[in-house]
Amino acid sequence: MSKIIGIDLGTTFSAMAVVQAGEPKIIENKEGARTTPSVVAITKTGERMVGVLAKRQQITNPQNTVYSVKRLMGRRFSDPEIQRDRKLLPYEIREASDGGVEVKMGDKWLKPPEISAMILQKLKQDAEEKLGEKITEAIITCPAYFDDSQRKATKIAGEIAGFTVKRVINEPTAAALAYGLTKKKDQKIIVYDFGGGTFDISVLDIAADTVEVKATGGDTHLGGDDLDQRVIEWLVDQFKKDNGIDLSKDQLALQRLKEAGERAKIELSTTLETEINLPFITSDAAGPKHLYYKMTRAQLENLVKDYIDKSIELVKQTLKEANLSTTEINEVVLVGGQTRMPKIQEEVRKLFGKEPDKDINPDEVVAIGAAIEGGILQGEVRDVLLLDVTPLSLGIETMGQVNTILIQKNTTVPTSKTQTFSTAADNQTSVEIHVLQGERPMASDNKTLGRFILDGIPPSPRGLPQIDVTFDIDANGILNVTAKDKATSKVQSIRIEGSAGISKEEIEKMKKEAELHAEEDRKKQELIEAKNMADNLVYTSEKALRDAGDKVSAESKKEIEDKIDALKKVKDSDNIDDIKNKSSELSQTIQKIGAELYKSAEPNKPTEEGPQAQEGEYKEK
Amino acid sequence: MIKENSEEKKEIKADPALEDVKADLEKSETLKNEYLAGWQRARADLLNYKKDEIERISELMKYSNEEFILKILPILDNFQLAESAIPEQLINDDYVKGLLQVKSQLADFLKGQGVEEIKSMGEKLDLNFHEVVDEVDSKDKEPGTVVEEIEKGYKICGRLLRVAKVRVSK
Repeated sequence: MSKIIGIDLGTTFSAMAVVQAGEPKIIENKEGARTTPSVVAITKTGERMVGVLAKRQQITNPQNTVYSVKRLMGRRFSDPEIQRDRKLLPYEIREASDGGVEVKMGDKWLKPPEISAMILQKLKQDAEEKLGEKITEAIITCPAYFDDSQRKATKIAGEIAGFTVKRVINEPTAAALAYGLTKKKDQKIIVYDFGGGTFDISVLDIAADTVEVKATGGDTHLGGDDLDQRVIEWLVDQFKKDNGIDLSKDQLALQRLKEAGERAKIELSTTLETEINLPFITSDAAGPKHLYYKMTRAQLENLVKDYIDKSIELVKQTLKEANLSTTEINEVVLVGGQTRMPKIQEEVRKLFGKEPDKDINPDEVVAIGAAIEGGILQGEVRDVLLLDVTPLSLGIETMGQVNTILIQKNTTVPTSKTQTFSTAADNQTSVEIHVLQGERPMASDNKTLGRFILDGIPPSPRGLPQIDVTFDIDANGILNVTAKDKATSKVQSIRIEGSAGISKEEIEKMKKEAELHAEEDRKKQELIEAKNMADNLVYTSEKALRDAGDKVSAESKKEIEDKIDALKKVKDSDNIDDIKNKSSELSQTIQKIGAELYKSAEPNKPTEEGPQAQEGEYKEK
Repeated sequence: MIKENSEEKKEIKADPALEDVKADLEKSETLKNEYLAGWQRARADLLNYKKDEIERISELMKYSNEEFILKILPILDNFQLAESAIPEQLINDDYVKGLLQVKSQLADFLKGQGVEEIKSMGEKLDLNFHEVVDEVDSKDKEPGTVVEEIEKGYKICGRLLRVAKVRVSK
């Protein structure tokens, strides 16, 4: 059965995905990229190019390189939007005989669906090549505000490309699908889509069987490109001030600025400061000129503040139209690359008082949702098979009050994990299983889910008993923790419900705390490890001395006992260096026990050495 | 005389409760088979995924350098810009020579990573490897020929790493 492909036919970029083995996956195009520019061109040599190849000759062939054709789909030529876009587009458009739009490409006049079809055709070919099978059916997405004729145009484009278009679904609905929000009932959702060229807001109402679009809003000419432009303008201004030269007049310099500006903007989403370093950017009579500026995240946020504020205003307006308040919104979904910007996430969080859904790649989430729709239609994605993950790590408390994790966060459930533990003290006959949820290394910094005791462990030296602890989570998020003593087969367990029923806010809070305290926690963990090792060392040293008895000289015995005492003194302190030092001193010294035992076992051992191990060459790395 | 076992002869009337149970049983059977098939398929998918993973890992190892090298290229670009800006009278300056040696070191390092330059100068425009940034009139060249390299392009292990930015004859 051939797959149904999900396609996000975007204004600036398109993406495609398909459900494989029950999971939606983005399909790379022939060039190896996960997104394809929505650009089509007739080159100077008369060849038709689609995607990144078309983009590569755009600058010198603007009249025959058609981009953002989505803006023209299904519209009448007399539309004010069209008239406005006409002034901005370098390629020619005219009124078609039916009142629609026609675009000149090469020496032909084409309808927008024909051009979109070329993009879809490339996607189809690339997908078939990648997957090794024919793809005939597709789900294509479109903006929620598209009217009937625009949707029809989208469907026609798909058909021209050779697809049977099973559905044209709304982009925000696809995004909601990708996040599994359509599984829940009675949800009011906002989708905040800040892409490269357009900004779209949609308010969705998810009821029992349907997804209703309550309101839409946005700005068809507000996108990440506008934010890039601000950075470029700032660079040009600074350079003008510092060098008296206007770089915007220099095409090549401008190109470098454009790339550097976009790169800086992207970097500032993950760092607080970045540099824009462009040596030999231009030259004048005096010689070469170099551009070097640092930019902080705060500076960038200032430069684009009005754009972000505008987007929030538009959200408020759209909410008003939908007759909803911010508190009535259950989920906020982020779509579009620009939503990676921390300031935007912060403003959205502030407005709605909740953490937005942003874990799925915002450039790919719509295509993913379209693929899921295709999968549902095909029955490949059964509701019961849409699996959850544990949001936080699960573990037990072990020696030194440490959190030992058995199941990592984001593990898909149902799942089961077993690990073998032992006792911490000699003759310990019971163990307490303290079940923890959270990421922090110290047990007390995490949430206690439950406790129980397994007793009846036969008295043994510490470290000898084998207790298997199993964590088992079923598809409903119910956790069963079992402890079994391998020797007696005695079992004890506890059942914890709702370990996954933790709010998103709490999860984010715990993750953030873990990040904040990461350094501090790491130090604590190192200290605990050192202490545990010291403890073990003291135990094994004392045991070794006892076992060796008279075979060890009184002198060595005293030396070792001194070292043991020294270690005992420091091991309860918090000075990790002391502990490590005294530990290594002790472990060096107890080697004497072994040496003397062997000596007493073989009093006539020849003193001449046999073939020695050669000292090999040691190269410094 | 043999007593007729009237129970045996009694017709078994259709018991609605029994019919219900039979229907339930059939439904369960179908569901069971479906689940078993689904389970087997999921298991097979997992095993196939593991096999694919080994391939994916070797692909990853081969090209994992790519992203990193891509970030280093602008540094080489700037060195090249610097080189082409050296005034005539400084070309043999020892300090300059030393800096150019550093540039060579970087270029050699990249070569060692499998990076090679894309041929552009004098070549016919090939959008698979070139990006046009400008056109110039060139009387003696065929239209669509690369006449200047604004930024070099590179391949890594035979695969496109970065396109060359070129000036083309009209």
